[in-house]
Amino acid sequence: MVGALALASASLACGSAKQETDAAAPIRSSKSLGTTHGPNGEPATPTSALTLTPGEVAKVRAGHYTAALVWHESADFTTAVTAGVRDEFDRLGIEVVAETSANFDAAKQKADIETVEAKRPSVMLTLPVDPVVTASAYKAAARRTKIVLLSSVPQGMKQGRDYVDLVTDDLFQMGKRAADALAAAIGDEGTVGYFFHDANHYVTNQRDQAFLKTITGSYPKIRVAVKRGIADPNEAQDEANAVLVKDRDLSGVYVMFAQPPGEGVLAALRANGNTKTKLVTLDLDEPLALDMAKGGNTVALIADKAYELGRAMAVSGAYGLLDKDAPAFVVAPAMTITRSNLVEGYHESLHRDPPASVMKALGK
Amino acid sequence: MRAIEPRRYVVYVAFLLILAFFAATLSDDGFLSEDNLLNIVRQTTPVTVMAVAVVFVLSAGEIDLSLGSVVALSALVTAEVMKTQSAVLAVAAGLGVGLATGAVNGLFVTLLRLPSFLVTLASLGIVAGLARTITDLRSVAVDDQSFIDIFGSGDVGPIPSLAFWALGAVVLGHFVFRHKRFGAHVVATGDDAGAARATGIRVDRVRFAVLVLSGAAAALAGILYTGRLEAATYTLGEQDLVTVIAAVVIGGTRLFGGEGSVVGALIGSLIMGTLTNGLILWGLSTSEQLIAQGGLLLLAISLTLREPRRELA
Repeated sequence: MVGALALASASLACGSAKQETDAAAPIRSSKSLGTTHGPNGEPATPTSALTLTPGEVAKVRAGHYTAALVWHESADFTTAVTAGVRDEFDRLGIEVVAETSANFDAAKQKADIETVEAKRPSVMLTLPVDPVVTASAYKAAARRTKIVLLSSVPQGMKQGRDYVDLVTDDLFQMGKRAADALAAAIGDEGTVGYFFHDANHYVTNQRDQAFLKTITGSYPKIRVAVKRGIADPNEAQDEANAVLVKDRDLSGVYVMFAQPPGEGVLAALRANGNTKTKLVTLDLDEPLALDMAKGGNTVALIADKAYELGRAMAVSGAYGLLDKDAPAFVVAPAMTITRSNLVEGYHESLHRDPPASVMKALGK
Repeated sequence: MRAIEPRRYVVYVAFLLILAFFAATLSDDGFLSEDNLLNIVRQTTPVTVMAVAVVFVLSAGEIDLSLGSVVALSALVTAEVMKTQSAVLAVAAGLGVGLATGAVNGLFVTLLRLPSFLVTLASLGIVAGLARTITDLRSVAVDDQSFIDIFGSGDVGPIPSLAFWALGAVVLGHFVFRHKRFGAHVVATGDDAGAARATGIRVDRVRFAVLVLSGAAAALAGILYTGRLEAATYTLGEQDLVTVIAAVVIGGTRLFGGEGSVVGALIGSLIMGTLTNGLILWGLSTSEQLIAQGGLLLLAISLTLREPRRELA
């Protein structure tokens, strides 16, 4: 599946799609120049390796366990992760007794953790907003609840002792796929702008570095003309404006993630009347998907399989409840979404249909 | 002799009804456990501390939009200073951030005769920008155990140290608001600044003082957050402004000045915290929580803020 996706062609678009889209080249999968590893260098285990025997499923079902979902925000991504979690928990007979969203507020997340602990859930699935600020709350919760982490490990917590495992995307593959897609869109030659996350953040740092390593290591005719760090994702549009005023002839740009920096860079391209520069970013996002469907600047979105992440977290929770040894670091596969597989991309990544606006633009 | 106004007490009844409702529906879900009830007190303390000061601000006919950003900057300054200096100095530095911001707000409002809404909107931006700059968006951990015990997770017997901060702020605030001349001057200024000035009240001094008080309370809230979280980050307090104002207004303080209640603000803060806590324990999804919170808030506001019908002359 992964191989097929890697070779997926951004094939001819029909209807009103512009010529550039029609002429899109197939995406070649370059040689992988690295791998995803955990925050402490742990090797990655694919989500598909997490399995439960029928006997283990029966044992979990007999336990009548409960779970709390402590998320960082409410968005398409968390909705899809939650859907994966709930479907798997239904199979395992685990009841979700509390669900929270911190809206990226670390203080609220600490309060959320304390509140859900009043229900004494057997397992907590969570994405920590801030690995430093929320650490004390997670350490306290870990004394009586099995914790499964998504994407980030709170400071000072140890796998096996404080949490079951860390589940995340195949970060290197996401960056690499972004490089391959952008290279294909610009014909393997030209100049690109690299908008990376200028913060000490494990997930974005690995993805950004994988893009840079691949585009410079595998595509000798492509030059990274601009490297611009973005510390505050909300300011991406201003940063991009500054770049695009000086470098109008960039063949393509990579942006660290879709919302809000990808949208911001797209807005800057539009504001500068730039219809030529190709844009590749990470995550499915309606405005960018719509731009891609209409044959605009956006040529590919690299998405994780959020539903699969949720399913894997739920199975990890069962590992914890069974005291079964879990791999320290588990990754879900990435996928390249272009105009040609946009509908399938939504299904596979977010487990739902694309928004009506995108379907309309695709003529479906 | 003043007639008893039933409306003044509706907020207390509303709080008791909300407590009773959750106690009845969540009796098996830990709502009434000592840990959970103390958690509500811990979680609401920073909002309560700010709400006490905002009673003064709103009663004086002013507003302070910079509260949330002062929380973040004072928290970060406290945590940063504590890396190299004593906790006492760090707390003083954190409070200094609030006092300075409040003083600057107050000077612009009184000397340049600018509306506090616009002045504090501008200072919100400046202070939030500074908070993002000083640590380059990085969170800062704190490990001074005495500081953490006093301002965060410590207990005195069964009572969390944070409860003492909330109680102290409410008692002091109530005493000054109800029993000291300053409180009366605040209300008179908010009710009719011209009339207050005519009676000899130094209206500008009152306005300056309430904004400094507000800055100091926000700084203290930032320090309390730092103690509770054992860390500081630039997003602290970002979402507190609306909660604080809602708590104060539900508690019987008029949004446009001339009337206030510190004890009501405490109850308002506890209502907000109890709603969040109870709805999570109910097991509602995040979206359902937002809808239910909005609905219950509307009900609480309808009960507490409904204007009495006026008889036609």
